[in-house]
Amino acid sequence: MAQGAVLGTQQYNYAVIRKFSVMALVWGLLGMAAGLYAALELAYPLLNMGIPEITFGRLRPVHTTLVIFGFGGSALFATSYYVVQRTCQARLYSDSLATFTFWGWQSAVALGAISYMLGYTQAKEYAEFEWPIDLLITVVWVAYFWVYVQTLKRRSQPHIYVANWFYLAFILATAILHIFNNISVPVGMFTLKSYSMYSGVQDAMTQWWYGHNAVGFFLTAAFLGMMYYFVPKQAGRPVYSYRLSIIHFWALSFLYMWVGAHHLHWTALPDWTSTLAATFSIMLLLPSWGGMINGIMTLSGAWNKLRTDPIMLFLITALSFYGMSTFEGPLMSLKSVNALSHYTDWTIGHVHSGALGWVAMISFGSFYHMIPRLYDTKLYSTRLVYVHFYLATIGIVLYITAMWVAGIGQGLLLRAFDDFGSLAYTFIETVSFLHKPYVVRALGGGFFVSGVLVMAYNIFMTIRQASREEAAIEAKLAAKLARA
Amino acid sequence: MKFKHESIEINAGLLIALTMVVISIGGLVEIVPLYFIKDTVEQVDGVRPYTPLELRGRDIYQREGCYLCHSQMIRPFRDEQLRYGHYSLAAESQYDHPFQWGSKRTGPDLARVGEKYSNEWHVAHLIDPRAVVPESIMPGYPWLMQPLDYADVADRMRALKFAGVPYSENQQEFDANVEKFGPDVANELNILRAESNLVQQAQSANYDGDRAKLTEMDALVAYLQMLGTLVDFSKYDEGYFAEFR
Amino acid sequence: MIEMLQWLGRLENSKIVALLIFFVTFCGILFYVFTGKQRKQRLESYKYIPFADEDDAESDETRKVDKR
Repeated sequence: MAQGAVLGTQQYNYAVIRKFSVMALVWGLLGMAAGLYAALELAYPLLNMGIPEITFGRLRPVHTTLVIFGFGGSALFATSYYVVQRTCQARLYSDSLATFTFWGWQSAVALGAISYMLGYTQAKEYAEFEWPIDLLITVVWVAYFWVYVQTLKRRSQPHIYVANWFYLAFILATAILHIFNNISVPVGMFTLKSYSMYSGVQDAMTQWWYGHNAVGFFLTAAFLGMMYYFVPKQAGRPVYSYRLSIIHFWALSFLYMWVGAHHLHWTALPDWTSTLAATFSIMLLLPSWGGMINGIMTLSGAWNKLRTDPIMLFLITALSFYGMSTFEGPLMSLKSVNALSHYTDWTIGHVHSGALGWVAMISFGSFYHMIPRLYDTKLYSTRLVYVHFYLATIGIVLYITAMWVAGIGQGLLLRAFDDFGSLAYTFIETVSFLHKPYVVRALGGGFFVSGVLVMAYNIFMTIRQASREEAAIEAKLAAKLARA
Repeated sequence: MKFKHESIEINAGLLIALTMVVISIGGLVEIVPLYFIKDTVEQVDGVRPYTPLELRGRDIYQREGCYLCHSQMIRPFRDEQLRYGHYSLAAESQYDHPFQWGSKRTGPDLARVGEKYSNEWHVAHLIDPRAVVPESIMPGYPWLMQPLDYADVADRMRALKFAGVPYSENQQEFDANVEKFGPDVANELNILRAESNLVQQAQSANYDGDRAKLTEMDALVAYLQMLGTLVDFSKYDEGYFAEFR
Repeated sequence: MIEMLQWLGRLENSKIVALLIFFVTFCGILFYVFTGKQRKQRLESYKYIPFADEDDAESDETRKVDKR
């Protein structure tokens, strides 16, 4: 066992992956706690407490940034560095550049969260970072791309494994999206404030092209890369069909970029654009489900693993939620459904079935697989993985059902008419209706966060156990040397 | 040379190039034409850039993250027409850097909130929403009564001018604005008079009910009170806007 | 022939042209990926790449799968 660790750390750069993994958990906890607090503010507005830094409007970007870029981003850095090294059997290119991506990314996330609380924001959803942080992210991203490609070049066999294709598409797409959506004019060299270069309808289209493809490439393609490595690895069986994965890759990369405008149905955006987006959204169902089937069928013939292996349970449940939310998405992109669902909590529920069910669950499963290998030890407790799994699943189910009730309910109330053809409900009456679903949603969030706490404890104990094992071996070695 | 998919699989450079092509098409097809198709933004009178005070109000609107709970985009449905007014036009947000259409209505749409409530109502509501609407879940913003920092308002206007908003900095630009918007509006868009214009608007309209102080509340209420009031819809026939959709 | 090319070049026909190009490309990829016995063997052999790197505890089982 110990020999493996020495080999592993010599052959591969595990140090930077360990750092990213730990920070992913830290940001995950902070970000989800911020989300939980924001959810409670909506149920009990007194919790805003008149403190500017924690009012809902400033806390919400903190929540989204910490979970998407802090947790998701760090998890992607960690797993992509792991997967590229293990599938190429080559050490990561340049330790120092890789370490730079770590510190650069962590400081961007931290600075972002602090600046929103202080009131500095570009006011574009998921792209709230002001211009100096945008520049920092750009530099980090170029370094990331370079490290990744140079490592690919060192691979020991000619073929590039498909997981790396997905990670590569994610890196490229994120670069394009980030740069073009964030073009802005700073008010001055020494102020954080800037104004978007685009305005009105063009800005809206650019923003949702960015916004939906942050989902498509950051939160989907990259996590599919994770899936194509960790599901086969954990199952001990190769992926169901490699040829399907090639089709999956090209179809997904092509189709995703068209669908952003479905966030702008019935707005002042021209109809042709949103119709085109709706059409492509429906088509997107095919590659999404192709990928899901490819992942789940990897277990075909070994379904009993679900009974004995909680990590497998995480991975397969993640794929099931992926299937569910990629069905719900095209449904909501239909103009008639969107007329009801848009602007309501149904959207929030949909996002979370993807973010909690797919993104977080597949990351948890991959981490439970990867972290013991990084430290060359066994997981501290398998039982706690089960506990985490049930807490997370109950949390998600409570969350999304509450949001379905809230969203569909409010949508119907807002369009209800009385016998005289006037509006049946005032807006504020629909707000009162939302209180109960909001409480249930916060409860679901509470379950989910406590699951992550259990995971953090489990991982902490695993790492501590690893360092104890290492110390024991070193002591033995020292004793041997002393005798000699 | 015979092309084989295999060459993509074993050549990282080619894989990168082809992926770039594949992921670029969708965005190009949907975004670029919006700049060139004339009918994307309607031809309509009355829409003008923000005055310095309104601009600072809009900055505060963004600072507090109002756009996360309030949309500014009325859709062409009967219930929205009754609740909020005429559906929003692309022209109405043509000077919005960035757009504030929003994606969620935890609170009502604000695209036409201007002149629907009194200044006193807005001030009371912003300081303590539940004092005015008991069921409201909006946070209170008592700190908006602090003095407004408007030292850099001219710089802000210059940045927006760079992004394409017709604020004026010389006689020629000023004259063009007089022609396009009339003398009163052109005067408000003059960057060289930004600070005095800002103070004057706050003084004369007295949005926060305290003439002695120029507060962030003045700016925010000035902004809210002009939202959706620029286009006079009685001047247009309903079929006119449909031609642009 | 020239008429047909001109028709393809007109902007108002771009939807049909784009559809044709993309759909044909897609069919081409499908055809390429799913035909040919040798190609099948070659492509499917790549799915074992994650298992080429064996210092894990579960290696016993994967080796079994490998030999299938």
